[in-house]
Amino acid sequence: MSPFEVQLRRDLRLGWAGRGDMAVMLGFFLIILTLVPLAVGPDAAFLQPIAVPMIWIAAMLSSLAGFTRIFNEDVRCGWVDQVALSPLPLPLYVIAKAATHWVIGAVPMLLATPLMALMLYMDTSHLPALLLALVLGTAALTLLGVIGAALTEGARGGGGLMAVLVLPLAMPVLIFGALASAPADGGIVTPHLMLLGAVLAVLLAVAPFIAAAALSETESESGA
Amino acid sequence: MSATQPDNANKSPAHKSLARDAGAPPAGLRVDGVALVRGGRLVQNALSLAMVAGEVTLLRGPNGSGKSTLLRTIAGRLPAAAGAIECDVPVLYIGHADGLSPALTGRQNLADWAMLNGLANDDVAIDAALDRMQARPFADLPVRRLSHGQRRRVALARLTLGPSSALWLLDEPNSGLDAASSIALDDLISDHLEGGGMVLAATHLPLGITHSPRTLVLEDMA
Repeated sequence: MSPFEVQLRRDLRLGWAGRGDMAVMLGFFLIILTLVPLAVGPDAAFLQPIAVPMIWIAAMLSSLAGFTRIFNEDVRCGWVDQVALSPLPLPLYVIAKAATHWVIGAVPMLLATPLMALMLYMDTSHLPALLLALVLGTAALTLLGVIGAALTEGARGGGGLMAVLVLPLAMPVLIFGALASAPADGGIVTPHLMLLGAVLAVLLAVAPFIAAAALSETESESGA
Repeated sequence: MSATQPDNANKSPAHKSLARDAGAPPAGLRVDGVALVRGGRLVQNALSLAMVAGEVTLLRGPNGSGKSTLLRTIAGRLPAAAGAIECDVPVLYIGHADGLSPALTGRQNLADWAMLNGLANDDVAIDAALDRMQARPFADLPVRRLSHGQRRRVALARLTLGPSSALWLLDEPNSGLDAASSIALDDLISDHLEGGGMVLAATHLPLGITHSPRTLVLEDMA
């Protein structure tokens, strides 16, 4: 088993052990979307046009709720120190972290999306396009979250700082994602989806290195 | 899963960034004119230290004199503000933090660490390592349920899994240990030195090791 696979397996185990945290993310997603009809009223004419945007905003906010946990425990308990001294390069460690965080955090959200779409009277013919865009979008958000989490690791009030840091950078994801989720002509692969894919590709190339650079000199708990 | 790349350990923990001249003769650890900065404040200046196989050095000095900072810097986790550090053996670092994820068991933590470094990680090897620190009885509990001293013992058990030539960087290794475990740690260190390893430890508590240590006193610069 390669060092990368060891880290990946470890993260899946940790994710499973901390599944309560991830359930909070899913719960947040469901609650935000449940609040919409309560606030706007259960009228399809009002809900249908905002269904896609609201699903995107809920996905963004609930993703944000989980980011602080990505590196927190590993830095505090000193595991990052051990990884830094091991043959596993830190960027690969970051990729393992991001991949498991996406699987455990975003996939349940994607699975709950069709139900939420029905509740908001979304045009179901757009569902495949929405899900595909959400797959790319949540992956891109996770990579932004990884950067934010690594940069704010050890900062006081890291959670709030991270929201201010990550949300502006997430705007292209939101814009292209929302546009790609409601294609006018019914085709799934739109230019917006391609642009969303381009954002994801750029993040895949740079995020592991930025996060690794930020983690290369973090302090463990009480490391005086 | 198996220890298929035992050699990995020799290139591994070593310093990607610190191995500046790989062609130099083996000299163990050389710290040359290093300056340490912590929290924007210079804590040590022009610090030099050389160690060869079989040697042990104890770091002493008041709180805040840079003992932990020096260990972290040698481990490559902090940059030296000036000077050079060369180390041509694998490094095992045990800092204040134990490097054990609280949600996993001690055994899982140890096995993952061994696998990550390409070291022996079968049950026999892990059990033997745990036994050296008498940590087997609680090795299958999640680390979060262990006491401070118990965690320390699991963390220290990691040392025996590493290569015999390794440099051990130990930050207050015996804090929180009971009498029996302190003796087990002393034996661990003595055996490692006997086998040609090196130990650099910051500690306020005396170590009862068989080899006579050199002492490096870090003065408070404040």
